[in-house]
Amino acid sequence: MQELNLKVLNKPGLHARPAKELVKFNKGIESDVVIKFNGKSANIKSMMAVMALGAKQDAEVTVTIEGPDEADVAKAVTEMFANGFGFPEEL
Amino acid sequence: MSEKIQGNIAIPGIAIGKIMKVGQSLDGYMAAYNPGSAEEELSKLEEAIDTISAAIDESVEAMRAAGQDEQAEIMEAHSFLLMDPMLTDGMNDKTREMGHAPKAVLEAAQECAEMLAGMDDEYMRERSADVKDIGRRIARHLLGVKEPEIGEEPVVLCGFEVEPSAIANISDDKIAGVIMGQGSTTCHAVIIAKSRAITTVVGLENRVEDIPEGAKVLLDGNEGLVLVNPSADELAAYEAKIKAQQEEQKRLDALKDLPAETTDGVKVQLAANIGLPEDAEAAAKFGNQGVGLFRSEFLFMGRENIPDEELQFEAYKRAIVACKGETCVIRTMDIGGDKPLAYLNIPHEDNPFLGYRAIRISLERPDLFMPQLKGILRAGVYGKAAIMAPMVISVDEVKGIRAAMEKAMAELEAEGKEYSKDVELGIMVETPAAAVMTPVLAKYVDFFSIGTNDLVQYTLAVDRVNPQISKLYDHFNPAVLQLIYRTIKSGVENGKWVGMCGEMASDPYAAVILMAMGITELSMSAPSIPKVKEKIRSVSMDEAKAHLERVMAMETGAEIREYLHSKI
Repeated sequence: MQELNLKVLNKPGLHARPAKELVKFNKGIESDVVIKFNGKSANIKSMMAVMALGAKQDAEVTVTIEGPDEADVAKAVTEMFANGFGFPEEL
Repeated sequence: MSEKIQGNIAIPGIAIGKIMKVGQSLDGYMAAYNPGSAEEELSKLEEAIDTISAAIDESVEAMRAAGQDEQAEIMEAHSFLLMDPMLTDGMNDKTREMGHAPKAVLEAAQECAEMLAGMDDEYMRERSADVKDIGRRIARHLLGVKEPEIGEEPVVLCGFEVEPSAIANISDDKIAGVIMGQGSTTCHAVIIAKSRAITTVVGLENRVEDIPEGAKVLLDGNEGLVLVNPSADELAAYEAKIKAQQEEQKRLDALKDLPAETTDGVKVQLAANIGLPEDAEAAAKFGNQGVGLFRSEFLFMGRENIPDEELQFEAYKRAIVACKGETCVIRTMDIGGDKPLAYLNIPHEDNPFLGYRAIRISLERPDLFMPQLKGILRAGVYGKAAIMAPMVISVDEVKGIRAAMEKAMAELEAEGKEYSKDVELGIMVETPAAAVMTPVLAKYVDFFSIGTNDLVQYTLAVDRVNPQISKLYDHFNPAVLQLIYRTIKSGVENGKWVGMCGEMASDPYAAVILMAMGITELSMSAPSIPKVKEKIRSVSMDEAKAHLERVMAMETGAEIREYLHSKI
């Protein structure tokens, strides 16, 4: 299992657009990816659960990744958080 | 004779069809439902989800193929939600617990909808109704409620709420109209209907229950009227109207790309009044040139907190981009005690239209005004934006707004955000005080836009929705015309442009004399544009000026109206 501590950089937080990107990303991987924040946890396969975390900009979240491709997935997830999930205008 | 039910106008047009009730109660079906074992219920649920999911994907594809992108996008969100484990797991867990799939589905959808409704994200809040729609659709399938059969005759969908999917699933040739009990004209169902120009009447409230399934109805979307079981005479009368409407439409469509100019080449800008950013995109098919009034209120309504700068920026940007280089005039928040919003904190007022509202609030509440000004200034980078302040009565207010604008720019500068320095500042001239003071106000603003709805109301002291005195409400009343003329002259003399964004701007006869007064922009609901353009293209400026001179010498509104209708 991999555990990452990542920061939400997008100004609007983990809102609809990043959550949608995570759902899409999840379809191409084997690992289970869970984001934990503020005592709540959300599997990234659920857009609604991710949004319900209420993680705003600058929120520090914990991401756990478990599965055969966890090393690659960890790298990709770190990248997604860092580049604003592909929405540079939100940084 | 038919039974007539008066509702509110949502999407104009005239339609005839057979009533198909939707969104009706499932209680009866629920009572008759015999649940099987928990395992059976779970497998029924799985089958139902697969079936509905496939049906949604199929209709999305069909909509894309038919070029109905807006509709496809909404249904795609349904497909996305139906794949979300939060919803499907909820449905499965509850089915296991309750042993009753349809009940479990509705409950799980309701819980998700409530969670979404409480979210601090516009997009997700809008999905709340979609989740309920999906839940009911799956429940109907489980309960064996037959999807209503559509025969040869086109249908008119009727319900207190009509689910967006219900409209989306019927092809253009089979749907004639929509009738809704609820009164919102900005809900998804109306947006879908609008994108397909389906005649719609809303706000019938519980009277939708009086309309029987299968009844023949005539829908007059121009008047917001529903005629149940129309007589042969009524049908004949409307047949003629429909025919005339189609012919007129053909004539007006041909004007779309022609300029709005008099026979001797004097031009006027015909802009659109909008409530939602997407309206600016929809206005293009009527040949608008920019937006003369973007009512920013919708951003502030139906929510618990002040909309932040980012959300406002996105909305303004979308409208500004849709204006394609023409000006987009954004009116700052125009809300008061008549639409109490928790975060505005306005105590009860006996007379909210003369109360704490609009710019009076904005100037005292930087927490409200700053995000709006900053949102507009930033969006201004994407085209040509203008800020318009409502309810202004004095020079002091204009100075206050100018100072707030400068502060907003300084803050944006400090934050290193990109913004436009060329955003114009104008006021809506809608109080007699502002109209009288326009010679002075003109020195402090970049433009005036005359808001006739309130200007008429405040000048004549007539509440236009009071039916007993509504005949006194008249934009041709000479007192009103004097104030309008004064405002336009003040602008012209000081080199500031003057426009109009009230309903008077959509009166083709008024447009002619307003142009003679020197107005250079008329903003109206987009569908009114072609008619106004047609009238303008039929007169010369010399004729218009002669009419104006005659009209200004007249003593009553009735006399003026009669003159204009007979001479122009």
